[in-house]
Amino acid sequence: MLQLTDVTKSYPTPQGPLFVLDGVDLHLARGESLALMGESGSGKSTLLHLAAGLDVPDRGEIRLGGERLSALDETRRSALRRQRLGLVFQQFHLVPSLSVADNLTLQARLAQREDPAWTRHLLVRLGLGGLEGRYPEQLSGGQQQRLAIGRALAARPELLLADEPTGNLDEAAADDVLALLQTLIAESGCALLMVTHSARVAAPLDRCVQLKRGRLAVDEP
Amino acid sequence: MSAPTVQARGVFVTTLATLLSHYRRHPGQLAMLLLGLWVASALWSGVQAINASARDSYARAEALFENQLDRIERQDGQPLTLDDYLTLRRAGAPVSPLVEGRLRLAGDTVVTLLGIDPLTLPGDSSLARQESSATALRDWLLPPHRLRAAPDVAAAARADSRLPPVENDPSLPPATLVSDIGVAQALLGLDRQLTRLVVAPSARLMLPENLVRIPARQLASPGQLADSFHLNLTAMGLLALVVGLFIVHAALGLALEQRLGLMRTLRALGVPARTLVGALITELLAIGLIGALAGIFSGVALARWLLPDVAASLDALYDSRVSSQLVLPWYYWLGGLAITLGGLATAGSGVLWRVARLEVLTLGQAQAWRARLVRQWRRQALAGSVLLGVAAGLGVWLSASGGATLAQGGRTTLIAGFTMVTAALLGVALWLPALLAMGLQLASRALRRRPLWQWAVADLQLQLPRLQLAMMALLLALAANLGVSSMVGGFRLTFLDWLDQRLLADIYVHPDEGDYARLHEWLEAQPEVATLLPARHAQATLVLNADAEADSAPRAVPVALFGIHPAPVLARQWPLQESVAGREAAWQALREGAVFVNEQLARRHGLHAGETLTLRGPDQRERRLAIAAVYPDYGNPHGEIVMPTARLAREFGAPPGSLGVGLAEGSARGAARDAALERLRTGLAGQLAIPGEVLTDQRRLKATSKEVFERTFAITRALNALTLGVAALALLTTLLAQAGARRAQLAPLWALGVPRTRLVTVQLGQLVGAALATALVALPLGIALAWALVAVINVAAFGWRLPLHIFPGEMAVTLALAVLVAAGAALLPARRLWRSPPRRLLEEFAAT
Repeated sequence: MLQLTDVTKSYPTPQGPLFVLDGVDLHLARGESLALMGESGSGKSTLLHLAAGLDVPDRGEIRLGGERLSALDETRRSALRRQRLGLVFQQFHLVPSLSVADNLTLQARLAQREDPAWTRHLLVRLGLGGLEGRYPEQLSGGQQQRLAIGRALAARPELLLADEPTGNLDEAAADDVLALLQTLIAESGCALLMVTHSARVAAPLDRCVQLKRGRLAVDEP
Repeated sequence: MSAPTVQARGVFVTTLATLLSHYRRHPGQLAMLLLGLWVASALWSGVQAINASARDSYARAEALFENQLDRIERQDGQPLTLDDYLTLRRAGAPVSPLVEGRLRLAGDTVVTLLGIDPLTLPGDSSLARQESSATALRDWLLPPHRLRAAPDVAAAARADSRLPPVENDPSLPPATLVSDIGVAQALLGLDRQLTRLVVAPSARLMLPENLVRIPARQLASPGQLADSFHLNLTAMGLLALVVGLFIVHAALGLALEQRLGLMRTLRALGVPARTLVGALITELLAIGLIGALAGIFSGVALARWLLPDVAASLDALYDSRVSSQLVLPWYYWLGGLAITLGGLATAGSGVLWRVARLEVLTLGQAQAWRARLVRQWRRQALAGSVLLGVAAGLGVWLSASGGATLAQGGRTTLIAGFTMVTAALLGVALWLPALLAMGLQLASRALRRRPLWQWAVADLQLQLPRLQLAMMALLLALAANLGVSSMVGGFRLTFLDWLDQRLLADIYVHPDEGDYARLHEWLEAQPEVATLLPARHAQATLVLNADAEADSAPRAVPVALFGIHPAPVLARQWPLQESVAGREAAWQALREGAVFVNEQLARRHGLHAGETLTLRGPDQRERRLAIAAVYPDYGNPHGEIVMPTARLAREFGAPPGSLGVGLAEGSARGAARDAALERLRTGLAGQLAIPGEVLTDQRRLKATSKEVFERTFAITRALNALTLGVAALALLTTLLAQAGARRAQLAPLWALGVPRTRLVTVQLGQLVGAALATALVALPLGIALAWALVAVINVAAFGWRLPLHIFPGEMAVTLALAVLVAAGAALLPARRLWRSPPRRLLEEFAAT
């Protein structure tokens, strides 16, 4: 599903280039879930952004479902993100001016893949039934993150990329959101690449990898 | 339609709907955008509607034939007679007679009645063309005749039973009727009299000595004369447009900054940058169209309201008849839309450029945005320095060149003057954010011991990026206000002074020529009368380059001559601008045969005191006359030469004109003056059978002149006030738009124990302080603007220079206005803060 080969990414600094990722190789199969762990500044989010096509590597190759990302122009990378990926952020990034229902279906509408039955199902599973007309600011933190997960899954993506999805939640809400995420991933059949610094959050996933100073340290089955 | 196209459209529509949903939650921002566009477009369109209508009137007047045909007049300025015409026709000259006069219709409408002879009128004139068919010509010439009327007076003409059947003629200038010459002579009471004769410019003819031919190209058209007036209006409209666009720019910047997160999310969800920019452009276009259309329609309403005053001013100033009904050509509507949308594109281009360039991953970072702002200030200051350099360069060039009037082809000077003013205004405006930032840094050091105010200054530094555009708009409006007020105030002072100096007699008499001698004699014998100041008018030809070599041939231009009686009272007070050896010597020289020239004539032809000029009189003899002095002549668009009345009558055949009457010491003031005037009126009626109304009280003349003056500047003042209102609106809308975010910043202070009253005071203090600092920058800018208006633009536009007056009162008013505008704008958000329940502040505190 996702294949990273010798991926290197650096940022210019006054002291010379700072290598955030340095020759990373990573593989994620269809339907598989993978936790990407590491300390702050280890390059986890950079790797996620590269996988989403939001940024481009200095060197190396990223393939998504057989397509080489570096060969695509900005418009085609956007189309790929719209059609095949789902993204969940730590800060939720919901659209404050859209209602719960509109936020939920936003990506599905952008991808022209709106499925009312699947949306209704998601709404119930997310525990947001009856709140469709509300706005994000009227929801709790846990509800907002569940809505963000719902938005990412509404277009039935092949791969879900989640950046610290429980980082802003308390323990109970985090457990609740994680359980829901796993169930929905299983129901939709999509793969999951989740960035987290918490071993507890990473534990239920199929695999876990550690990033240390831009290199993959451990790849545990 | 292919699947990718359908999908692209779907992405676009969803993106646009998502972007627009922002305004559902923030209707204030949408209102601010629309308001900015509406106000900017309304003021601009209003001014342009006035200009378009006036130009239509001028075009119709010019098209009529006045400026297509050469004019033949008598050298001595007396009316032509039928005999003059018949003599010329018998000699084979292809001249055509014309009468013109003002006619009061039933219902008190005053019109210009033109009488023409279609049989002799040169074939290519517009009037001749219209009477070309045999039927039309028969109706025109035979009773009951026909009369053509401009649409605005057609109804009044039909209602007047004295007039022949009326036909509507949209090609005629406003308030104009045209009839056969016989009909017009009868209506105007001009038996056998003609106003002038006209001839095709191509016709060759030999004229007798008492007649003069004035080529069409030398006759100033009404459009040219009033050009400067309209240019000033356009400049004011442009200023209002720029100030309005500042609101738009501020609103757009804010709407973008608040949607950065949303845009980042959309990009992350797969919306291409091109689609996002496209959706933003569509949003701008939709808002622009609504704002522009609302503005254009409001502008038309504004113009309809202001046009009667403008028409009256143009009539009084330039004798130009402008219809008080709006006539708007198709390009007016398109032009209004184009200028508003163009302005919106300019205001929005920066925003779109940044969205297109920013990376997805930095899109949401307001910090990056602010860092860019600091860099932007540096670039702004650099651009401001360049503009100020341009303004200074133009100022030096204009001062060195001495300026040229419009009549000299000084349009370049006028454009250079306006460019200098625009460059200086924008240059300082671009420097303003950097100046305010520097001022705040200094204030921050000074307020170390007062933590709350130190916080207020630091907070204001953070607010500056959002406030800067509104402050720039305020700066422009304040500077324009001060500059224009100083110019108008100085003009008023000079004008009133000049009126006092020129209108020295207590009473003015305008008798018929036949009554002049006996009236003069009778007045001299009255005990109430101390001095008589006779004045006469005539026309002559000024011969330029009379001494020139063969390569620049002499050029002759008609010039007005004004005869005055150089009595001591006049010599003491008549204003002089330039003389060779002082006032006394100048008047002595005038008595001995020299002349005075007015400033307009002096500037137009580069004449100075001490030089000589050549005048050709009705006897065709050329006289070399010394110029003893140059005098100011405000309000007169024409050149004029002054000489003693006796000489004007003797050498230039000037007919008797008006008489100024100086009352004796005991009758010159208060009730005695009124009684003396009444006695003279009664005496005139009783003893000479002349109606007492021929005596005009000088006070009434002055009052009328002042009224004309005030009306002339009424529209300037109205636009000025509206521009300041727009700037206040810019500030208010900026504050309202960020009021929510501001409360979130103030909530922690409240939580730390600062009472709400104090927070409200701090908020008001911040804005009033910033506005005062802006006003301090506006003061020197306003004075520079006033200088540019009186020393450069006025000279180029009108032909005279005004002294620069600085009014400390106006400066105090500018400062007070800044405080008022800022306090007014801050009051509503402050009131909201004051009324916020503690629960709301708690929520906002929790969110910070």
